Amino acid sequence: MILRTARKELTDTVRDGRFRWAALLVGALLLVALGAGWMHVQEARAQHETARATAREHWDSQGEKNPHSAAHYGIYAFKPRLPLSFVDQGVDPYTGTSVWLEAHRQNDFVLRAAQDASAVQRFASITAAGVLQQLIPLLIILLSFGALAFEREQGTLRQILALGVPRKHLAWGKALGTAGALALLLVPAAALGAAAVVGAGGGASGATLGRAAILTLAYFGYFSVWVALSLAVSAKASSARTALVVLLAVWSVNGLVAPRVAVDLSKSLYPTPSAFEFAHTVEREMANGVDDIRPPDREAITARLLEEHGVERVDDLPVNPSGITLQESEEFGNRIYDRNYEALWDAFERQSRVHDALAVLAPGLAVRALSMGLAGTDVEQHRHFASAAEDYRRDLMRAMNMDLALNSRAGETYLADDELWESQPPFDYEAPSLAWVLGNRRLSALVLLFWVVGAAAAAAFGVRRMEVG
Amino acid sequence: MTGLTSVPEEPRPTEAPRPADTYLLEARALSYRYGDHVALDSLDLRVAPGEIYCLLGPNGAGKTTTINLFLGFLEPASGSAWVAGRDVATAPLETKQYLAYIPEQVMLYRNLTGLENLEYFAALAGKSSIGRAGLREILQDAGLQPDAVDRRVSGYSKGMRQKVGIAIAMAKEATTLLLDEPTSGLDPKASNEFSELLGRMRERGVAVLMATHDLFRAKQTGTRVGIMRRGRLVAERETAELAHADLERVYLEHMGSDGGTI
Repeated sequence: MILRTARKELTDTVRDGRFRWAALLVGALLLVALGAGWMHVQEARAQHETARATAREHWDSQGEKNPHSAAHYGIYAFKPRLPLSFVDQGVDPYTGTSVWLEAHRQNDFVLRAAQDASAVQRFASITAAGVLQQLIPLLIILLSFGALAFEREQGTLRQILALGVPRKHLAWGKALGTAGALALLLVPAAALGAAAVVGAGGGASGATLGRAAILTLAYFGYFSVWVALSLAVSAKASSARTALVVLLAVWSVNGLVAPRVAVDLSKSLYPTPSAFEFAHTVEREMANGVDDIRPPDREAITARLLEEHGVERVDDLPVNPSGITLQESEEFGNRIYDRNYEALWDAFERQSRVHDALAVLAPGLAVRALSMGLAGTDVEQHRHFASAAEDYRRDLMRAMNMDLALNSRAGETYLADDELWESQPPFDYEAPSLAWVLGNRRLSALVLLFWVVGAAAAAAFGVRRMEVG
Repeated sequence: MTGLTSVPEEPRPTEAPRPADTYLLEARALSYRYGDHVALDSLDLRVAPGEIYCLLGPNGAGKTTTINLFLGFLEPASGSAWVAGRDVATAPLETKQYLAYIPEQVMLYRNLTGLENLEYFAALAGKSSIGRAGLREILQDAGLQPDAVDRRVSGYSKGMRQKVGIAIAMAKEATTLLLDEPTSGLDPKASNEFSELLGRMRERGVAVLMATHDLFRAKQTGTRVGIMRRGRLVAERETAELAHADLERVYLEHMGSDGGTI
């Protein structure tokens, strides 16, 4: 009975010209967004790969040079694009995907697409995640706002129930019918997406497949929420028109109002400095120190070294005080950066928790966080990469400074050669595991689950109590 | 008062009492309220197999409420509705196995053909085994023109939709038909065809309860009529005992100042 109802719903829907046009439009947008996202990721990967190889080649072939000059010469680190990032670019366009690693400075990320885009480009950019999070729910609403309300208005609900069809079977049939119509649109898109993932970069790894499976599950849960909500409203609304208005209001709150409120509220509760303020604070603290973090004193370091090595003259020291001072200066800078970045990242994390909590009012916030997390483009994974890049920078700077300290003497002109540069391991970043991502996003997953259960309960209640007309 | 028995003012016609399970429809002191308004007041009514019982009365008399109570769409304030010997309140799904319902406007899915609509409703009624050939035959038995069977119902007239409604009841092999103003708005030819169909179903032993304003159709089609006023069954009679003029006169007598549309 359920399957028969679902089949009839599907036939009815597919023959409806309004559905065909809406599905064509949304399907085209989804395919364009997936295609554009995939091309963008492939292009970025190729560019990063070329740039990484070139940067490394330049690093390795610096020729004879003082190690500290090499430290200032620096090297680029590129955030790898995970295969699923073509579905959801997440915060990448805002945070950037590349960072210049050099002495003394923890640089900002560059290659920020949003920074380079005009206001119109930002408004008009269509991503697959945007289509999945905003337009598919809209299509679900258009498909199912009248599922029960229209039947009631037209009188078919009385006829169906008079046949002895249990209400819950009718509701399940309606839900499956809607799901079937959506599947006509989404299954080909998902198959294309899967082919793109498998076809790109020599096949998909187990981790990628795991992320893809859970991403699919998350969106399935999200769409189920909309189907169940639509059925609940359709069952209880006084008319199909009222059901449509109510559902469009819910959709607007979910997709337009809640994200804006989440941003404003989280910023208001946990303010973060502007880029200018942040840079200014770091600059001031680097110049003067702060609390017990003080700039290194070259003379004090030299005196300490003389004492440690039991010599009286700098020329007798087995190490070059300049190298030691440079390293201590580096460590001083690291402490200043750690202090400021930790506060900044903590604020971002608290803001993220506000978004997670507000997802109780709007499921779109929960699926957005899960989607970015599984695509590898959320703030937490950006932080993971930034920390790894910074660790690498510090190791590299330490290697340069200690080479200077150990292989030269005070006042001597010291030049290292390619052997030193080539001995430095490349920056080999490994993205966090799926378990790490899910650990970070467990609240979003729980909230989405809450929505699935809540919406299903609302649908069950609505259908059980609906007026027959 | 001539020829009609008022209920409860007058005693029920004397007939040999039948065991309760021989009635396919039975209302026992059935009452319903919409807020403070009494829509149905202690209705007692029985319809046996092969009987067409026509409920007459103006708008608001309680005819549709009675049908809704038999369908289990409303919960009685008191009393009970029984279908094939089962209480609707305690076995709402089971009682519907015996029922077919045809409203004033049979509503179908406009994007499906007549055959597809019947196929769907028959499947919901648990008759998916009939097959398309069998369903096609049923539609033709119900009077639908063969060339209309495979057309989408968006182009159907009301009469054609009513025939699909009858076909659904036939496919379901329902033993009990509940009809709510089924001939309202039909042209005389379609109304006649509908009456003939009902006659054929009656011959097969189907019990029919039909709410109608149409005294002529009630007299022509029904085996018994009941007149309702303000939620009460005020008169009940075998149609064979009545001339049409008698029915109209008594109907008006019972309506009093309410009038109502005939």
